[in-house]
Amino acid sequence: MTRLVVVTAGLSNPSSTRILADQLAAAAVSSLEAAGRAVDVEVVELRDLAHAITDNLLTGFPAGALADAVASVAAADAVIAVTPVFSASYSGLFKSFFDVLDADALDGTPVLMAGTAGTPRHSLVLEHALRPLFSYLHAAPLPTAVFAASEDFGSRGLSDRVERAAGELTDAVLRRRQLHAVDPYEDVTPFEQLLNG
Amino acid sequence: MQFGIFTVGDVTADPTTGRTPSEHERIKATVAIAKKAEEVGLDVFAVGEHHNPPFIASNPTATLAYIGAQTERIILSTSTTLITTTDPVLIAEDYAKLQHLVDGRLDLMMGRGNTGPVYPWFGKDIRDGIPLAVENYALLHRLWREDVVNWEGRFRTPLEGYTSTPRPLDGVPPFVWHGSIRSPEIAEQAAYYGDGFFHNHIFWPPLHSARMVALYRQRFEHYGHGSADQAIVGLGGQVFMRKNSQDAIDEFRPYFDNAPVYGHGPSLEDFTEQTPLTVGSPQQVIERTLGFREYVGDYQRQLFLMDHAGLPLKTVLEQLDLLGEEVVPVLRKEFEALRPAHVPEGPTHAARVAAASDPAQPSTSEEVSA
Repeated sequence: MTRLVVVTAGLSNPSSTRILADQLAAAAVSSLEAAGRAVDVEVVELRDLAHAITDNLLTGFPAGALADAVASVAAADAVIAVTPVFSASYSGLFKSFFDVLDADALDGTPVLMAGTAGTPRHSLVLEHALRPLFSYLHAAPLPTAVFAASEDFGSRGLSDRVERAAGELTDAVLRRRQLHAVDPYEDVTPFEQLLNG
Repeated sequence: MQFGIFTVGDVTADPTTGRTPSEHERIKATVAIAKKAEEVGLDVFAVGEHHNPPFIASNPTATLAYIGAQTERIILSTSTTLITTTDPVLIAEDYAKLQHLVDGRLDLMMGRGNTGPVYPWFGKDIRDGIPLAVENYALLHRLWREDVVNWEGRFRTPLEGYTSTPRPLDGVPPFVWHGSIRSPEIAEQAAYYGDGFFHNHIFWPPLHSARMVALYRQRFEHYGHGSADQAIVGLGGQVFMRKNSQDAIDEFRPYFDNAPVYGHGPSLEDFTEQTPLTVGSPQQVIERTLGFREYVGDYQRQLFLMDHAGLPLKTVLEQLDLLGEEVVPVLRKEFEALRPAHVPEGPTHAARVAAASDPAQPSTSEEVSA
């Protein structure tokens, strides 16, 4: 079973960010299924976790539904991450969620980055804000990032980019080495080794 | 089972009055709290070590010696001693001296520090946190057990023909706990030496404590110090009590809401559910505390944090009365009834001296790691 987690940071309802997230998820599922993969999709709506994310920033640990979301992202075979553009970058809520993940939670995980904005002038936000973020986290951001300004929801170009990104996601999932998640409580370093530096 | 309190010595404004105690008041309050802890029958008083405001927790050995001179029975300990940034040669001297002065009523808990800049202030690098803890403690362990030490390592000047003075009281070094919230290397270190492992436990979900203690117990057995359930475990705890639980909640809420570490975040109700914090009646504290052994097993030491977040001294002393009179006597009896005979009691100097002279006793850190 391929675990696909969709992280979406839209704040309004209905949300264009969620609409884009759903389109990307549907395209990714079709593409993965066409490649013979059964897919389990989980959508993480950050709006529902906003208080818990702030609490985590203050206490240092995730609680309740946020703990489940953090665990899901860490266990995901691929992530679709969609943010609205606020003040020329990802939203604060979106960034805060990735701030509270463990440093190695996204190691090697293919990430399809996407964003929405009221104007196409923000389109490079995905390249100058999201791509460095996911590179820093040692994720594997896909070559195609999908940006949608309001006007794009009426154009063929958007669904073409969605299809292309979904195809890249499938390729990345099929290529991904099945990483053995190291559990520090299972694979403890023997003390003699620590003593020898 | 040993019961006590631990303090980090924070100087925090009382949110109900806006008044911040002076450093002098807080230092003297720490002494008053320690004396009260002995008076109400607690077994352990531990002070933290910090080297920055808003704490008065520098120079713990002076604090503990001063308290030791005014008490007779209570074990003095640390929570924690910075094994990373303090020269292990000085730790060996200072705490051996203190051990003599207080006639063996002393143990230590090793920790790595609360703030990044403390490392460069003492000429160290935080990225070496674990290697510093490993190497410095390895040297400290030898300095207390070998009369003449030749030594060379990464982090300090080599020693040639060095004798640390005074030698430990009765030839038995102070018992050592290793504290860590989630570094498996430290649980491994405690297990390797057959030392104690202490989990701070407070401010975090109990899952972390359970995992770290389980790892420590398993590795303690692996290194041949006894069975896993004989490993020496300590836990922190955080409580606020009044006879009527609603009074406790009402009185503690402003301190909770404004506390350093977790204030302005989750609600008191959420935090008591997510972490071991218990705010309520003495009976509720008893029930919650007894529940700790369900996820860490039978353990040897329970320390409570009672004096942080700007609580006034008068309130802290009232809390200690409740703890000593209504909570600890019940916990002592209940835990003792649950503890199997082969599980050791909390470490004392007298018992360690007796064990050192009796080869039939199970090994502690004396003979194993040289």
